[in-house]
Amino acid sequence: MLIELLTKRYPGMRAWLTQRLSGLVMAIYSVLAVGRFLVLQPTYYEAWVDFFKPWWWRLASLLFWISLSIHVWLGIRDVFKDYVPNANLRAILVKLLLVLLWLYMAWATWLLLG
Amino acid sequence: MSNSSSQNSAKAQKARPKNLNLLTIRLPINALVSILHRATGCVLFFILPVVLLLLQWSLSSALRFETVVAILHSPLIKLMLLGLAWAFFHHFFAGIRHLAMDVHWMTTLMKARYTSKVVLVLGAIATLVLAIKLWL
Repeated sequence: MLIELLTKRYPGMRAWLTQRLSGLVMAIYSVLAVGRFLVLQPTYYEAWVDFFKPWWWRLASLLFWISLSIHVWLGIRDVFKDYVPNANLRAILVKLLLVLLWLYMAWATWLLLG
Repeated sequence: MSNSSSQNSAKAQKARPKNLNLLTIRLPINALVSILHRATGCVLFFILPVVLLLLQWSLSSALRFETVVAILHSPLIKLMLLGLAWAFFHHFFAGIRHLAMDVHWMTTLMKARYTSKVVLVLGAIATLVLAIKLWL
C-alpha cells in the first residue's frame, strides 16, 4: 500500500500524515457540527439532547475526539520537543500528556456512548 | 569532516550574531500565521477539559443546561468565548492553508503571503460574525 511504502522509507512521514488526516477529519466534523447547529438551533434542553441523540452523530463525534487526541498528541509533543530542552523533564511532560489524553478519551467516550 | 574545518565552522558559529529578543524580531506575515497556529493550538488544548465539563453538564439535566447557558451568557465569559472562538477559527483556517500547501497549492512566497493574509482576514470575519450573533 502507498501509505506503508511511504512510512517505511521515511519514518517521520507516518506522524506527518497522521497529523494531516486527523486535522482533516476534525475540519469536516467542525463544518458539519456548525451546519447542524445552525439548522437545528438547539436553544432548549430537549433540543440539545436531541442534537446528540442520533447514533451516527455520536459515532462522528467519537471519531472527532479520537482524531483530536491524536492531533493533540503529535502537536503538543512537537511543542515540547521545541521548547523543553531538558530530556528528563520532557519525558515526564510527554507521559503526562499521554495520560491526560487517555483520560479525556475515556471521558468523551462515556459522555457519547454511556 | 576534518578537524580544521570543524574548528572553522565553530568559529563561524561564534561570530554569527544571535538575535532572540522577541520584541525586536520582525515577523513576516507567514511566520505570524504559523506561530499563531501553534499558539492557538496550545490554547485549544488547554480548554479541552472545560469543553467536556460543559458538555457533560449541559446534557445531564434541564436545570444544569439552563445553568450552563446562563454561565455562557455572562458578559465576561462571552468575551472569553469570543477569544477562544477566534483561536479555533485561526487554527482551522491556518490548518486548511497547511493542507493546501501540502498538496503543493499556493507554495510560492508571494502566494504564501497572500494566503497568510486570507487566513487572518477569514479568522477576523468569522469572529466578527460570531460577535454579532452573540451580542445582537
